[in-house]
Amino acid sequence: MLFNTTQFFVFLAIVLALFYAAPRALRRVILLVASYFFYLSWNYKFVVLLLGLTVVDFVAAIAIERAPASRKKLFLLISLIANLGMLGFFKYYNFFADNLAQLLRYPPHSWTYSIILPLGISFHTFQSISYVVDVYRGEQAAIRNPIDYALYISFFPQLVAGPIVRAREFFSDLYAWKPPSQEEVLRGVLLIVLGLTKKMAFADQFAQIADSYFQNPGAHPGGFAAWSGVFAFAMQIFFDFSGYTDMAIGMALLLGFHFPVNFRRPYLAFSITDFWHRWHMSLSRWLRDYLYIPLGGNRHGRWMTYRNLILTMLLGGLWHGASWNFVIWGGYHGGLLSLERMMGRREFEKRPPIWLYPLRAAITFGLVCIGWVFFRAATFADSRYIISQLFHSGRQMQALVPRWLVYMTGASLLIALIEEKFEWTERLSRGPAWAYAAFMILLLLTIELIGVTEKPLPFVYFQF
Amino acid sequence: MRALFTLILTVIGFWAVEFALFRTGAYYTILRPDSSTGSVETYIHNELKRTRHNPHEVLTIGDSRMGFLPRYANEIQAETGYEYASIALGGATPRDWYFMLRGADPSANRYSAIVVAVEDYEDSEIGEDFSIRAADLSYVIGRLKYSDIPEFARSFHDPELEWAAVRGGLLKGLIYKRDFQDFLLHPTERIDMAKLARKDSYLWFYNYAGTNQSMEGVAVDFNNRTITVPPGFTDAQKAAYQLRFLAPPLPYTGMRTAYLHQWLGKIYEHYRGSKTRLVFLHLPRGPFIRPDQPALNPHSSVRELAGRPEVILMPEHIFDSIERPGLFIDQMHMNGPGSAEFSRILAKQVSHTLDAL
Repeated sequence: MLFNTTQFFVFLAIVLALFYAAPRALRRVILLVASYFFYLSWNYKFVVLLLGLTVVDFVAAIAIERAPASRKKLFLLISLIANLGMLGFFKYYNFFADNLAQLLRYPPHSWTYSIILPLGISFHTFQSISYVVDVYRGEQAAIRNPIDYALYISFFPQLVAGPIVRAREFFSDLYAWKPPSQEEVLRGVLLIVLGLTKKMAFADQFAQIADSYFQNPGAHPGGFAAWSGVFAFAMQIFFDFSGYTDMAIGMALLLGFHFPVNFRRPYLAFSITDFWHRWHMSLSRWLRDYLYIPLGGNRHGRWMTYRNLILTMLLGGLWHGASWNFVIWGGYHGGLLSLERMMGRREFEKRPPIWLYPLRAAITFGLVCIGWVFFRAATFADSRYIISQLFHSGRQMQALVPRWLVYMTGASLLIALIEEKFEWTERLSRGPAWAYAAFMILLLLTIELIGVTEKPLPFVYFQF
Repeated sequence: MRALFTLILTVIGFWAVEFALFRTGAYYTILRPDSSTGSVETYIHNELKRTRHNPHEVLTIGDSRMGFLPRYANEIQAETGYEYASIALGGATPRDWYFMLRGADPSANRYSAIVVAVEDYEDSEIGEDFSIRAADLSYVIGRLKYSDIPEFARSFHDPELEWAAVRGGLLKGLIYKRDFQDFLLHPTERIDMAKLARKDSYLWFYNYAGTNQSMEGVAVDFNNRTITVPPGFTDAQKAAYQLRFLAPPLPYTGMRTAYLHQWLGKIYEHYRGSKTRLVFLHLPRGPFIRPDQPALNPHSSVRELAGRPEVILMPEHIFDSIERPGLFIDQMHMNGPGSAEFSRILAKQVSHTLDAL
């Protein structure tokens, strides 16, 4: 059940109706049942995995809280092994088995199995780990009600692709639940429609161009075509993932929950450091708090900081998928972050003067685009070829992106720039009704006339 | 309350904009005239604004096989006493014909007769289930009213298409979107093209005389089941002839009868009780006549309709003289001379039949 389908909206309407019609005591149960129904609609077999990990972490957290200091670590380890073990098996077993076979000169796929990746496993395991680690650190009380904990892990708006919500954020909303205010309802609906517009009218349009380029890059030689294909993917992944996140945040708001912001106009970033403060922010925060800082962060000198940055980003890359391309993508970003650190941290965290900003933003965008080549290309050989084409003038001036889509992207850039300055979409739900309605009508017309509605395309991050 | 008011305002505003764009004719000013939707709309608009020279008007409808060219029929207007027009359109099906006729003649009183061209009077199966023809949604989208949606959607015997018809009927932009995206590629050229088509397309169609290319030299031996083609004909053409003339006929299932009952029935309902006669005519069968012609089906859609007072069934063999390779461009369609001949015969026969009433 994709977010961009009619079935999902029928499901959402039913959940909202039942949620608000039911007495308060029943509402959590309704959300839990709805979330499991949502998960079951994808693949009923993996519900056992989701339930199993939920039980393990729920029990482990209580055990950590109750156990004497000397034994807390044991329960933490049990939980980590369970979560990372499952993630490792389902997501990385074939990757490592294949690489090992290659290393030992066995035929390829000697030890691989046909393993289906359970939906959302990367997200719910990270969320579980953050909860158990927070309990271990004493930053979060263990949850005693299994329904509450199961809901935290399986809450349908963010179950399959985040944002990765911290336990204290979720439970503070759950335990002090208040119905959404008028502004929150309007903002929730606006975010859902905005997310749908991003997904259907932008991401899915760019997806067609990016797919046609990346499926056979050799068919479109030359720098112009390569930049068009890579630009299309950069647009696709941004609109796709931020669209999904907007919808998730909007749905949560309608149910009285407040998810953290996950994207803040990342392509307006003026440095890679700034980019990672704006892109998939809930993952960046998770990597910082549960990987980078435990590794030592910036507390042990310059070189250890660079090492930690690169290691964190390498693992962040690997988190996206079991392939060397993702590792390279992570390493590339880790390398760029380290380089910026080397050149002076403040320089890359402080907003440059207005005259320098466009150049810095353009360079950052270009660097991010080069990274996307590794992220999207099917093989390392394809990545190398595309990178070589990016810097190849060639004679062919073959642009893959139609002019009107470039204009639409230009318009959305303008909207993003205005938003960056005034945050007017934030204010829209508090402003006059006509302004809100006018913007919503524009979005709905964009979906109707530009959106890819014939066959709903899955969200990119669902595969992770 | 504020949220509810704002959301209601949004829904009403969106509906109003959608209505203004797609239900008032505004979009027609940029609609691509040669698209399926554009063709239907252009034909209907041309017919509505056509200058009438005669109180006795006859309108013909059909698909690409209906090679009726009104200019030839109107050349003998002094003899027939009727002025002829046509909204026959390639690719249009009986479902589309109903909506086209309703668009061209909303009050069902503009014409002395409507001539509907059908393949035969026996509802022979054609190997395609028209009830699940997705393209029909594009053909008639400009004509759909809210009240049409339930019946129109139900007429697609496929849940996915039914749903697509409901969605498209409610939100027409979903169907116009391909046209709109094409418009965005070359907006100024499109506006010019649409403007030119609105101004001149009536004459383009009216003056069209067809091609002189023919099937002269092609021979079909039904006994030995062989087809001979002269040099210059392609293998694809030969294969198409084989399929048309030598493939075994499809068994009668009643599927086509059910479909035609519904849509020819709707056309009849539109004209029931009006002064307009509904004339069904049997198109020329082709350049070669298969020996295994379909058996008489007394319960076919047109034969059942023929029992009604407003309906006329033209004799089946009035076009036999046209069924020659020299008057056809391919296995199904008449060429220029064939269409000219067909148009004259049709005008004379229909006028004669109407006068005799």
